[in-house]
Amino acid sequence: MTRVRNVLLIAVALILAAIYLFPLYWMYVTALKTSTAMFASPPIFAPRNPQWGIFASVWQERHMAGYLWNSLVIATSAVVLIAILGVGCAYVLARYRSVWVDAGLFLVLMLQVLPASLMVTPIFVGFSQLGLLDYPRLATVLAITAKAMPFFVVLVRATFMSVPMELEEAALVDGNSRVGAFFHIVLPLARNGILVSATLIFMQAFGEFVYSKSLIQEVGLQPASVGLNTFMGPNSVDWNRIMGYASIYVTPILGIFVLLQRKIVSGLTSGALK
Amino acid sequence: MTAQIEFVDVQKYYGTYHALKSINLTVEKGSFVALVGPSGCGKTTLLRSLAGLEKISGGEIRIVGERMNDVPPRKRDIAMVFQSYALYPHMTVEQNLTYSLRIRGMKKKEARKAAEDVAATTELSHLLKRYPRELSGGQRQRVAMSRAIIRDPKAFLFDEPLSNLDAALRVHMRKEIRTLHERLGATSVYVTHDQIEAMTMADRVVLMKEGRIEQQGAPLELYDRPINRFVAGFIGSPAMNFVPATVGADGQSLVLDLPGNQTLPYPGRLEPSRRVVAGLRPEHLVPASGTDALIRLPLRGAEATGATTFLFTESDPELAVVLNGRNTIKVGEELGLMIDPALIHLFDEKTGERL
Repeated sequence: MTRVRNVLLIAVALILAAIYLFPLYWMYVTALKTSTAMFASPPIFAPRNPQWGIFASVWQERHMAGYLWNSLVIATSAVVLIAILGVGCAYVLARYRSVWVDAGLFLVLMLQVLPASLMVTPIFVGFSQLGLLDYPRLATVLAITAKAMPFFVVLVRATFMSVPMELEEAALVDGNSRVGAFFHIVLPLARNGILVSATLIFMQAFGEFVYSKSLIQEVGLQPASVGLNTFMGPNSVDWNRIMGYASIYVTPILGIFVLLQRKIVSGLTSGALK
Repeated sequence: MTAQIEFVDVQKYYGTYHALKSINLTVEKGSFVALVGPSGCGKTTLLRSLAGLEKISGGEIRIVGERMNDVPPRKRDIAMVFQSYALYPHMTVEQNLTYSLRIRGMKKKEARKAAEDVAATTELSHLLKRYPRELSGGQRQRVAMSRAIIRDPKAFLFDEPLSNLDAALRVHMRKEIRTLHERLGATSVYVTHDQIEAMTMADRVVLMKEGRIEQQGAPLELYDRPINRFVAGFIGSPAMNFVPATVGADGQSLVLDLPGNQTLPYPGRLEPSRRVVAGLRPEHLVPASGTDALIRLPLRGAEATGATTFLFTESDPELAVVLNGRNTIKVGEELGLMIDPALIHLFDEKTGERL
């Protein structure tokens, strides 16, 4: 009985996975197709004549090195900023219990509910009055930080809560200060959880579009997401080239995820301890 | 004898909850003091206040004469063994042991030497490179102890260190901790909810209830002369029997509130017809027959453990009796009991104070 059920469940899982992963597959396959194969009906699932050269030519022609560099700079800066600010915030929210902390946590969660497309207009107005739009990448980093911080804080708070208070107290009695105990004991034990959360934030920031599109006008400073968008005009027909671009953009992120997925899953579920 | 630790009129409030109510306690240098009491009595709070992990709301805590109220834990020079051991999971046994030394700036080599010395006395030498998760419960316990003794602190604090061990290991560790204490001659404060642990290990037992110290003294002092019903009921296992009674017309006898005219002689002199509660320890009640028997009640049940037998009478309140050896009386038959009048404890019916 259980064997039949297991086989059935696995079959369902495989079918669902295939449905979810189909767009990804289609992206890679389309990138490799010739223009005639692209519009063939019925569609071709495995191209007979894969055009491997497409990646190099798209990379050259669309100046992808610059775009990807901008994406990397923006995402890395945002993650570093979030990690520095968010770890302290999460620790306080994890260790202190009071009405104010509850209120703070509620506000943090509220922030996560607001969509970027709603926030972008007030942010644009505010930033332009502060003169921040003269530094568009910095402005984008700040906007992404504000947007992704709640998610990070909530995840890392859970990690900190799984570090027993007694360990910190033992460090205090052993002769360390509060700050020392945090860096010696709590931080190393929460490291996995923090890294996992930071990785998730990085992947999110690397693909961020709304803020980058609105806040960065200068083409040379735009990230790859905006670059992809400008590639895709209303009358575009060169889908294979667009998909080639998308493949180059997405593959590194996929690689990170596949490499770290075991850690990410366990980090999200167990609070990254033990 | 000099005072190593002093609590003077210590108060602790959590919001409006009064957790410690005017605690006055002196711990002599080199003594082993057990704080014991039911859960929520404030014993752990008192220990944590001494460690500096809780801030007291009033009064004064002194260690070797110095006021400690606003001194952070790291400057109090005390070592603590936690209930969960609180070993640092990301450090090896050696790193756990040397952590406090390294923070104080000891050289790596010297610290390692110190760890090896301590490990040799606690049978941990072969485990120095292991991580806490690779150790058994008893080994973790020994690491926690070693982490405390490596420092030669002014006092050792123990917060129910044996409660996570199985029964056999607990008895073994009880002896080991006591031996360690004698060898080091260190001042120890030991929190436990287990009165047997307190009685067997401590020089001085402090019994707490609802944030107050009920009684303190040598273990047998608490057993022999409990100052009230609570202390009498808490110390001793199985617990003391309490039987309401009326003082007889001569002032020298007690008429127990039990079926039948059950009367005990009393060596003192009390106001006739006063209402009291008689405390009779199960181990002081001895089976007797004929005219020797002062109390006669039907037997309800017997539990034999080999060396001793527990007997229960069919009455309200039920009397528990600890019998050395085997029981010959059948359930439902009459059990005759006597007691040395000097071993009867008397308490006021209303206040519960000793008379």
